Amino acid sequence: MINLNGKYSLKTRLGLLYALLLIVSVGMMGYFSYWNIWQLFTKNEISHLRAVAKPVISQWIKTEQPVNATDSSFVNFTAQKALKLAYQLTSRHAVAVVFNGSGKILADGKQLPEEPSAPHPNAAMIKKSLSGHNEVTYWAMVNKKPVLVVLIPLRPNPKSHRVFGVVQISTPFSGMKHILYHYGIMQWIAVVLIVILGVLFGFRFIGWSLKDLNRLTIACGEIAKGDFTQRASMINRKDEIGQLAVSFNVMVDKLEGVFLSQKHFVANAAHELLTPLTGLRGSLEVLLRGGSDDPEVQNRMTKAMYKEVNHLIRVCNRLLGLSRLENAPHIIKQPIVLSNFFPAFQKQAHYLMQNHPLVIDKGPFVTVMTDRDLLEQILFNLLSNAIRHSPVNKPVTIGWKLLSQFVEIHVSDEGEGMEKEIRDHAFEPFFSSQSRFSAEKGTGLGLTLTKLMTEAQGGTIRLESSPGKGTTVFFTLPF
Amino acid sequence: MEEKIKILIIEDDLLIVDFLKTGLQYEGYGVTTAGRGKEGLEILKNNIFQLLILDVMLPDTDGFVLCRQLREKGMALPILMLTIRNEVSDRIKGLDSGADDYLTKPFVFDELLARIRALLRRQGKTSVSRELVAGDILLNTETREVLNNGNLIDLTPTEFALLVLFIQHPHRVFTRETLLNRVLGYDYEGSSNIIDVHVNHLRKKLSDGATRLIRTVYGVGYAFYPREND
Repeated sequence: MINLNGKYSLKTRLGLLYALLLIVSVGMMGYFSYWNIWQLFTKNEISHLRAVAKPVISQWIKTEQPVNATDSSFVNFTAQKALKLAYQLTSRHAVAVVFNGSGKILADGKQLPEEPSAPHPNAAMIKKSLSGHNEVTYWAMVNKKPVLVVLIPLRPNPKSHRVFGVVQISTPFSGMKHILYHYGIMQWIAVVLIVILGVLFGFRFIGWSLKDLNRLTIACGEIAKGDFTQRASMINRKDEIGQLAVSFNVMVDKLEGVFLSQKHFVANAAHELLTPLTGLRGSLEVLLRGGSDDPEVQNRMTKAMYKEVNHLIRVCNRLLGLSRLENAPHIIKQPIVLSNFFPAFQKQAHYLMQNHPLVIDKGPFVTVMTDRDLLEQILFNLLSNAIRHSPVNKPVTIGWKLLSQFVEIHVSDEGEGMEKEIRDHAFEPFFSSQSRFSAEKGTGLGLTLTKLMTEAQGGTIRLESSPGKGTTVFFTLPF
Repeated sequence: MEEKIKILIIEDDLLIVDFLKTGLQYEGYGVTTAGRGKEGLEILKNNIFQLLILDVMLPDTDGFVLCRQLREKGMALPILMLTIRNEVSDRIKGLDSGADDYLTKPFVFDELLARIRALLRRQGKTSVSRELVAGDILLNTETREVLNNGNLIDLTPTEFALLVLFIQHPHRVFTRETLLNRVLGYDYEGSSNIIDVHVNHLRKKLSDGATRLIRTVYGVGYAFYPREND
């Protein structure tokens, strides 16, 4: 079997299949119809010959046979008697030849040149007829033209089993053949026309059916070039292409969303880098054009620039962290007993906490499956947020409790809290709020990164906050 | 002494505020700053400014909105907007909301100064004078002609730039490094002693002998003292 898959276009393949089926079916119909006509003509001719011959032969037997003859009559089946019969059966249409019981020619009915010639006797067929077969007909050739031959056995009376001779009536079939030949040609022309028209219309129809696929292909090309406004318009079709169009649109919607958020992210990241760079360049320019002549200005601006460079480095590190988490998170999960982990963590966090007491509110004894480094980073991020937004000496509390499938850890501060509009966007990248208690700028990426780190371990994160009362961040870890 | 031109800066980034304030003060402007839109509005209510530098992204409001509010209140002072976004649509939005000019961060400080000068000129706050006068010296910044006591003198571009800087900032002491940066560019990598050579040439061409127009401040640099006309 030849594998056509993928080698030719769908249109070509469907078209070829369609043309093949059309040719086979129309060809077969034509052939059977031709064959039927041929059969009809032949049968008709045979019965005609027999119908004409039957009364002549009956009359001849009645005349030539003695009255009250028995089965053994016509013992002396002479050539003279045979010739009489042959003459009577011969016409312009047919010629009769009479054979005796041993298959020898007794008489040939042809007298006039316009009468057709008889074919050479076929010994096997004559033998078959002599043995009592009534329906022996066959085709023979005379002067390279087809001749229909009918053999009629001669019996003393219709019921007798004795055959004393055979009459061979042959008729040229060329006239018939001529008609059939024209009929055949007409049929061929019809078949070819039907196939050509059928294939033409078929291709058109297939092309029309597949046109929407082409439109989809073009839309795909446009999307590949970056035009995400492209949508499939044939969503109202009830067929497979309609279903494809619907799925296609859903896919493009999602792609567009991802693309746009990526674009916004890059724009925001550029913004986040350009702002400090603007400050740095401006400060450098002011210093170069004379600001450095004043030691107080020089000192103040240099320190501010140093802080800004550190901020830039923090932003870049967070961006790197985000990209690492999004592309190839390297997570090694290990069992961690929270009641053992937190006292150790409290010591580590001592430097970060400065003047804020860190309270560990011990929860139940539980082991979580988590990446230790990620867990520590999550907690450090949340703690630094908490102290950045809290007045000095206000405590930050960490605790945990068991949920049905997770352990929920919370980090609570008693700081300034957030307004609703800030709370709603807190996890979005580059969404940062100015703190009343700290001059240090946020990177706008801390909570985004924390969210990604939680999700990378199969957890979720949320926060509750009320202005003036404080903020609590909850995140879950699997057992 | 003429009244200082007063500029208000509404911008939340501390580093940007600092360099803008310092840099503009060096240029002789009186600078007031505000970190939030609300604060800026309060200051504008009670004081008169000749120019407003407005950041588009403020923590409490949108610069476009603030700009429109100011115009609706009938404030006509020139507004220069600062923004990160450099999309045409944003620039149009900025100008439509009532801003007079638009500068994209990060910008070159000299361009900011040029735009401030252009805005003030348009308001008629400063003249379009291309001529600088200091005592007997008459200098045209466009034709680059310098007349000393009515005599045309020929200066190299560096000497010309030095003279312009001196005339624009009389009595101010410039260090050699500052002169080098401002006259030869921030990326000039030679020694600052080259300034001594240029200053000496300039002194000779100005016939600056006993008059001491350009004075050496020992251990620091140079300062320009124009001859007071009687």
